Amino acid sequence: MSLVEFSGDVFLVAFFLYCFSFLFYVIAVTGKRWSGREPREHERRWGKIAFVVSLAGLAAHLAFFFTRWAGSGQIPTSNMYEFMTFLAMAIMIAFTIVFAIYRKPLLGMFAVPLTIIIVAYASVFPSEVQPLIPALESIWLKVHVTTAALGEAFFAVGFAAGLMYLLRVIDFKDTSKSGRKAQRWVEFTLYTILVIVGFLIAVFAFRGAGYEATFTQEKLVIDSQGQQQDVKETVHYYLPPIVKPYNSQAESVEPFLGLDKPLLEAPSWMNGVNAGRKLNTVVWSIIAGTLLYGLLRLLFRKPLGAVIHPALEGVNPEDLDEISYRAIVIGFPVFTLGALIFAMIWAEKAWGRFWGWDPKEVWALITWLYYSAYLHFRLSRGWQGLPSAWLAVIGFVIVLFTLIGVNLIIAGLHSYAGV
Amino acid sequence: MGKSRKTIQIVILFAVLLLGGYAIWAALFGGDDAGRPEAGGEPPSFTLADTAGGVQSLSDYEGQPVVINFWGSFCEPCVKEMPEFERQYEKWKDRGLAILAINLSEDTLTVNNFVSRFDLSYPILRDVDRKIERQYGLRQYPTTFFVKPDGTIMEVVVGGMLESDINERVERLLEL
Amino acid sequence: MLAVENTKCECGHQNAVGTVLCESCGKPLDAALQQSSEPLEMRYDGVARRSQKSNPAIIDRIWNFFSSVKIAIYLIVVTFVTAMLGTIYPQESSFINSFDATTYYEENYGTPGKIYYELGLSHTYESWWFIGLLVMIGTSLVICSLDRVLPLYRALQKQQIRKHHQFILRQKTVYRSEIAGDPKEWVEKFGAQLKRKGYKLHFEEGTGTALLAEKNRFSRWGPYINHIGLILFLLAVLARSIPGWQMDSYVSVPDGDTVPIAGTNYYVKSEKFNVEFYTDDELPEELKGTARAKKYETQAVLYKCVANCDDPLKEPELEEVMDHNIIVNDPLVYKGLKLYQFDFNLTPRLNAVSPILEDKRTGEIYGPFYLPMKNPELKHQLGPFTLEIRANYMEFALDSEGKPTTLSREPNAPAFIFSVKGPGLAEEGEPYIYFPMQKDKVKFAQDTINRELAGKIEIRVDGMENVDFSEATTHLNVRMDKALPYLWVGAVFSMVGLILGSYWQHRRIWLRVDGTELALGAHTNKNWFGMRSDVAGALKKIGVEIDPKTLDNGGNNA
Repeated sequence: MSLVEFSGDVFLVAFFLYCFSFLFYVIAVTGKRWSGREPREHERRWGKIAFVVSLAGLAAHLAFFFTRWAGSGQIPTSNMYEFMTFLAMAIMIAFTIVFAIYRKPLLGMFAVPLTIIIVAYASVFPSEVQPLIPALESIWLKVHVTTAALGEAFFAVGFAAGLMYLLRVIDFKDTSKSGRKAQRWVEFTLYTILVIVGFLIAVFAFRGAGYEATFTQEKLVIDSQGQQQDVKETVHYYLPPIVKPYNSQAESVEPFLGLDKPLLEAPSWMNGVNAGRKLNTVVWSIIAGTLLYGLLRLLFRKPLGAVIHPALEGVNPEDLDEISYRAIVIGFPVFTLGALIFAMIWAEKAWGRFWGWDPKEVWALITWLYYSAYLHFRLSRGWQGLPSAWLAVIGFVIVLFTLIGVNLIIAGLHSYAGV
Repeated sequence: MGKSRKTIQIVILFAVLLLGGYAIWAALFGGDDAGRPEAGGEPPSFTLADTAGGVQSLSDYEGQPVVINFWGSFCEPCVKEMPEFERQYEKWKDRGLAILAINLSEDTLTVNNFVSRFDLSYPILRDVDRKIERQYGLRQYPTTFFVKPDGTIMEVVVGGMLESDINERVERLLEL
Repeated sequence: MLAVENTKCECGHQNAVGTVLCESCGKPLDAALQQSSEPLEMRYDGVARRSQKSNPAIIDRIWNFFSSVKIAIYLIVVTFVTAMLGTIYPQESSFINSFDATTYYEENYGTPGKIYYELGLSHTYESWWFIGLLVMIGTSLVICSLDRVLPLYRALQKQQIRKHHQFILRQKTVYRSEIAGDPKEWVEKFGAQLKRKGYKLHFEEGTGTALLAEKNRFSRWGPYINHIGLILFLLAVLARSIPGWQMDSYVSVPDGDTVPIAGTNYYVKSEKFNVEFYTDDELPEELKGTARAKKYETQAVLYKCVANCDDPLKEPELEEVMDHNIIVNDPLVYKGLKLYQFDFNLTPRLNAVSPILEDKRTGEIYGPFYLPMKNPELKHQLGPFTLEIRANYMEFALDSEGKPTTLSREPNAPAFIFSVKGPGLAEEGEPYIYFPMQKDKVKFAQDTINRELAGKIEIRVDGMENVDFSEATTHLNVRMDKALPYLWVGAVFSMVGLILGSYWQHRRIWLRVDGTELALGAHTNKNWFGMRSDVAGALKKIGVEIDPKTLDNGGNNA
């Protein structure tokens, strides 16, 4: 068995350990009120078990990282699969550090599932080792990507704590206008997370079933000589086509629940690489996420926020506020170093300019400016607590857009990791 | 105490105004210097060999109206223009008009053949390795710069011209 | 007469206008603040900020505007929102080839594209308003920092040890209790524990019953060091617009050529350009068959012109200063001049041939003679034959009048017209056209053009060893950036400041014992959790066991 194959197996182990750890965290937190138990003792015991399991998961994850590195001869951060797995690992590291300071098992209940989602998301991308193009062979790339990811991981922990704060303090019995607004937004945040989960479920379900549809798309391309050319491209779908690419013909479509031809066509301005397929994936994610959300609502018969809220009772919201703030404070210098300074050094080495206003660079700067605004907000009266928690949540959305959205929607020099 | 504080404030605000003003000014007007000089600007100086074995500089023609024409034997509209320039040169040289035809870094034989074929009497200058061509930011040929006696560019013409076009511009240069 | 606000504290200290907490004893000065029991707002230790002083004139108004953190936040927010807008469509600067921006956006993105262009968002980051925002952020950085750092420095320099009860008991971390025994001894014992945690102790002289314990004061300067770094960085960026500080151009060098680098006194030669692609074995399934570059490299030599540099009649005299194999991520660097591997072109270019002349009637072969494409010797003597070059064409073609002409100055389809004299040929010489490249010879039917002369003689190249061509052309990016060192210095300052301010916190503990009554208050600029555990830890060591959480006096995690 090669090292790379071995690393794949360890990775699977890490994934399951994370899942178990999450389960134990849930038991630790929700099991407090089970009959016949001393809540404090219960939480301490299960919290410890969960933490140990999550540590074991992290160890397996580290083993994956280093064996893959050794096996492939290059640091595994060079394509979307490798980067996302690394980000997940960084989140676990950041979580472990923050947990070591504050020892709140609850944090695990929110940070570990975040890791699980990202690991699952990573698995959407092809996991083969791809040889590097020359621009990526630089020590600064390794340093840049890993440090930036670690900084972002702390923002992720800040997000988890911020979300917990929201779920903790928002009163789901409040029927005032502002109360309802807050409830709706929390619910929307949870719904968004479910859409991502829905995306994962849809992708893996159809991949498991081996679904495929093929289209040929005609495109007008202007080549380097300024000549217009008609280019035919084949587009493969791995989800049943609800939306087909603009100006395309179906080659083969496997019927799914009677759906044997696409219902809609992507608009013409969606002319990027595989834009039709991406749109189709988005539509599927929303459908799957909405179904999942509806199912959960049916099951609990109340808003999801109200379902989670009781589990958080007894937690001091101020602690959550401080954890969120502190995670971001710890992450900010790391992010600055990794995503801006090391990035500039690398850009200077590779392209001879430290800054080129490439979309990815701009978004890294936006993230940095956003979090520096956050840090300054914390200095102002009235911005601690609820507003800060919202800022932490929105901040992580910006982080995710920088990491994934830019590659999916805006192309640039960093599009090597595109899907 | 209060007074020195005020002075410090004024000094800092002034420095900020100066630096910030420069930054914004540079963004507004500081265009890319690699581009082609435009009307109103000054043509980059050069010193080049001519076909007669001499050396000519743009500065030799200070105070004179100058037509700087970039040409190559591979460019058909350039070739068409050459005899027209020759006639214009004969017509206006007594009034001080100078024409400097800069060849686009072709080899000696090509240029000499060309000059003798059209029997050109105005200076033909030899650019080497596209040095001057680059300084003038050329993208298309022919390109002709009409330079006024005060040393500023009156007009830049990209593409071939009819003799009447040249004549009309030269008249403007000579302020007739 | 104007009413003069009484800023003299009961402890006798004369405070500046705008002071919130007495600079000496810490007692709130504002009457309303004195009545309340809320935890105190400890920012900048309650001292007056510069901008809050005196009555505002126009200068002060501008000063006040930029000294506000609120304005700073607005500026940051506006900047990142406009930066977001700039990424919707590609920026003009991202196109290397020339294109027409006025039509591009509308053609490709329709009406939104047109609006985008009209608004100037297609060059957001070079626009005056975006630069203006950065300038305003820079101004805010300078003024905000100055306005705070000096008063804060003064406040921290002259701290009184025995603070007012109101000050101590209205901190966010508070402990009060009755103590037994000698107060002085208690304070010393407690102080010793704090000392072990790295606190610096200041006992009240004489009595010894009041204590100020402080650690990591330096972390308070972190944000200001960071801001200084950012200002340096912005200034360095600004300095790049000084003429001559920055250069960004491209140079194309065919194999074996030496090319001047415009705007400098340097020449660069490419000995050879090499490119390696990944083999299919090295590629994963979905990439097989694609040309994925593994490495490209220019073997470059840098020359400096030492004489005749501007003399058009003489060849410049070059002196080698450096050679380096330029690969991506490893530029040639010489005294601030940097050459980066940018692109390449694998179209070969013919440089020279060494043909022979065959007298077909005798089978006799003369030569070879050296025929470079550019500036060849005009006369060649080959045995009894004399060759004179009459004309050359780099890309041979016939013009509209059927006359030979050239379509470019690159030797894409070179042709030479010789005048040949020799045995059995006309006295004045006979014209002979020669195409060095086989494909052109066929395409333009060399033998047909040369008519009967083609039967008498032939000029041809025998074997590839007599052909000299450049296999590839490398495109190098020429850079110079004098501001770079300053930029890195700014970045280092900024980073150091961030680390100081983020990973250490300034913690202070005040305590006073009046009789048997102990009052303890603690303040930190970040991380209250750590602050409380410090206090609780030290208390525990001297036998007072409490849950750190009970020290919390409410208020915000500022």
